[in-house]
Amino acid sequence: MISTLSFVSVSDLVIGLSLGSRLFLIAVGLSLIFGVLGVLNFAHGALYMIGAYLALAFTTQVIDNFWIGVVAGAIGVGVIGVLIEVGTIRPLYDRVEADLDQLIVTFGFVLVIHEVVRFVWGSQPYSTPAPDALAFSVSVSGSTFSAYRLFVIVAALVVMAALWLFIRRTYFGALVRGTSSDREMASMLGVDVPRLYTGVFFLGSFLAGLGGALSAPLQSTSPALGEQVIIDAFIIVVIGGLGSMFGAFVGAMFVGLMQAIGPSFIAAGHIAIPFLAMVLVLLVRPEGLFGGLGE
Amino acid sequence: MTVVLQTDGLTRQFGQLTAVDGVSLEIDDEEVTSIIGPNGAGKTTFYNLLTGVLEPTSGAIRLRSDGELREITDDPPHEVARRGLSRSYQITNVFEGLTVRENLRVARIAREGRTLDFRSRAGSNEAANEQIDWLLELTNLAEYADTECDELSHGEKRKVEIALALAIEPTVFLLDEPTAGMNPTETRKIVSLIHRLNDEIDATFVVTEHDMDVVTDISDRIVVLADGAVLAEGEPAEVLADERVTEAYLGSEAL
Amino acid sequence: MSTHDDSVTSRIGEFTRDAVRNGWTRERCVVLLSLGLLLFGVVAPSFQIYLFTEFLIIALFALAFNLLYGYTGLLSFGHAMFLAGGSYGLAIFLQESEPYVSNVVGAGPAPLVSWVLGAVFAVSLVIAMAVPIGWLSVRLEEIYFALITLAFGMLVYSVIIQNPQGLTAGSDGINVLLGVTEIGGAEFRLGDRQIYYYLTLGIVGASTYGIWRIVNSPFGTICKSIRESPERAAALGVDVRFHRWMTFIVSAAFVGIAGVLIAGLSNVASPYHAHWSESATAVVATVIGGATYFAGPIIGAFVYLYARWGISRYPALEAHWEFFMGVLIILVVLYFKVGAAGGLYMLRTWLLDVQAAYRRGGANAAVGFVRESATNKLRRDSDASESDTGGVER
Repeated sequence: MISTLSFVSVSDLVIGLSLGSRLFLIAVGLSLIFGVLGVLNFAHGALYMIGAYLALAFTTQVIDNFWIGVVAGAIGVGVIGVLIEVGTIRPLYDRVEADLDQLIVTFGFVLVIHEVVRFVWGSQPYSTPAPDALAFSVSVSGSTFSAYRLFVIVAALVVMAALWLFIRRTYFGALVRGTSSDREMASMLGVDVPRLYTGVFFLGSFLAGLGGALSAPLQSTSPALGEQVIIDAFIIVVIGGLGSMFGAFVGAMFVGLMQAIGPSFIAAGHIAIPFLAMVLVLLVRPEGLFGGLGE
Repeated sequence: MTVVLQTDGLTRQFGQLTAVDGVSLEIDDEEVTSIIGPNGAGKTTFYNLLTGVLEPTSGAIRLRSDGELREITDDPPHEVARRGLSRSYQITNVFEGLTVRENLRVARIAREGRTLDFRSRAGSNEAANEQIDWLLELTNLAEYADTECDELSHGEKRKVEIALALAIEPTVFLLDEPTAGMNPTETRKIVSLIHRLNDEIDATFVVTEHDMDVVTDISDRIVVLADGAVLAEGEPAEVLADERVTEAYLGSEAL
Repeated sequence: MSTHDDSVTSRIGEFTRDAVRNGWTRERCVVLLSLGLLLFGVVAPSFQIYLFTEFLIIALFALAFNLLYGYTGLLSFGHAMFLAGGSYGLAIFLQESEPYVSNVVGAGPAPLVSWVLGAVFAVSLVIAMAVPIGWLSVRLEEIYFALITLAFGMLVYSVIIQNPQGLTAGSDGINVLLGVTEIGGAEFRLGDRQIYYYLTLGIVGASTYGIWRIVNSPFGTICKSIRESPERAAALGVDVRFHRWMTFIVSAAFVGIAGVLIAGLSNVASPYHAHWSESATAVVATVIGGATYFAGPIIGAFVYLYARWGISRYPALEAHWEFFMGVLIILVVLYFKVGAAGGLYMLRTWLLDVQAAYRRGGANAAVGFVRESATNKLRRDSDASESDTGGVER
């Protein structure tokens, strides 16, 4: 193991972990929404992209404060998510082919959001400056990387912990867990399921927006961003298990590291390997490598 | 008398719960057998085991085909159906988007092993069409032949449910709650239909049913399941007089 | 030449008058449609021929996709892998074997012979892909089937990008040039827009007829039963998984044919043909057109390509035509699941009713019928929306 890692530089490793953290922030919301609502949200990547654009807009045009931009971006995306859920997903729950219809509707939003973003911001890529407090570099054993990368890794861990506490320790979390394991029972026990669904959709979208906003300084923000990350997010939630937060974390780190250090030791297959892993997991363990919600 | 269906110590566990517990039964081809029992007695699980939807934890199932009892314990549902065991569903399960005639056509195509026939036109097989027309007449569905099932009333759908299961010419026909959700008039119609079908069709009928009037009307023999095991079996009058049976039912109602 | 044309036009006119007088039977419609399509290749400008050829290919792609989605109930999000399989099968065959073919049959007919052999090779390749991929994929259902086909599709895409053994030329793709064929003194270029249009028309026409026969065969009836209730189909003796597998292979083979055609039209076998967004094209066309109608995917493909072309004439909108597609998909799934084909069908029924009213009682009766059906429709809609809110509160 050590010998394998010895030719992987520390900076590659940090880049991989920060890519993984970024992917975790998008995948966890997707996984949460699927785990509770049974909806595979194709537009989740597009929501992430909006988060990045909103952060950019707030930071560079509205008020010159990155942190307010991040919060505003996440909330804004959460609100957009609620509009999508109430307007177009909720009417479909009772259909026979609800899951496929919902997948197709959310795919429609991929196209719509993509074009709206292009209309508002154009097709050119933007870069978002990292906040001043973190705009310095760190050197570890000869490798240099920006402090902001480290911050994103920490942020992902904090979000993971906060979500875990939220799902495990709060009343709302208990309702979410109960509803995800048995919707009808929850409904009979007096849970307002439609409202809970909207709440979870808000939370999932909020997380996508947060991910997009937080990782804006790490990537160039362009309309292609949504379609790039959604496929990675699908891979991650499948590998980790649709509905599993811990699984989303492990899956995200796998894909992130594969992107960063994969090319240096499996040059030929690093693009194919995540898809191969996705196929294998679906065939051998379709519920994913890790159990359901909150496990 | 000939045994057409036999179970031998049939058992199914879900974790700690034993839903079907060592059931050994023999179904005779000259009798209509009813399987009754309070809610949760394991009737549906028993049917799912027989038809291959669930795999038993232990025990064996044998079905008469080509003149001898053959083991079908590990066969998947479509194999079980091909060997001659057919079922109807408690919750109506027909091909909603297809017409009644197309529904029955599906069964005929499956029965004749023509599922991979790309070349002929569906509905061009005269022998199959005659079979279908005969079955439509027999089940009083002729006037709805070209109506899509999702436009039918509940009562009519229940008839399609039965016609569909019979269209594959089964040796044994398992009816799961044939009068479920029906008003008294519809129930009477279904009961007389079952009588008529039992006379006209060369299949052995096994019925689960809640309505005791229906049970006593149609059955020659009753099997009572409670907590997954056989509590009593025999002729209707005898079984219904059994104190343990009354207790099992009253006990469950008291819950 | 001109007298010949005149007699053709007058015959078509005669035929049309006859049809108008004596009713539009299916045969008359097919004959007139075929004539129109044949004439189109002669009279239409070059760009329109190109666009229409593209439409025919996308229509075949969507029709084949719908064999699995609309008829069997499985949503594949990776069908573009078979489009790429067809394209690359043809491209690689042409690249590797044209010299040999030339040696055997001579330089004159070589391009045509190579193309035919290449097409056969390409479709065989697609079937060879679909057998194992289908066998594995049909183990899953619903959303999981969509995900595994997406994964397989992207796996094929990444293999093409990786350029194994230099075979696929990586992200550049392989150029497909259909050269000049010379047989018995006659020369023609298969890649000529007009000739390629007729080639595509013939192949897509034959494939459409083939798919139409399949959905109306006993095989197709079983597909529909699986869509409606897999559990019930199994209880009648249908091996559901096996039947899905067979449908997967048949569907893939027809997509492979579309792949062969698209390579010749765009002159390239491109990795983009395997990308998931290309798979989405079939989904979009089918949903817009109406998955439950045979003609749905064809009409959807027409809307898809011609909406893009129509929008492209307004430069301000051109860049954003996908926006309108997105909105259309959302609206169709939410409010009009029967799609464009269903809409046309309902319109036709309604027009026939209007006509019948006119025959019964003249113009007044027809106007009365129109008014009545409009108020009925409005009333039904408001009833439906009331019961909808009731459903949510419950």
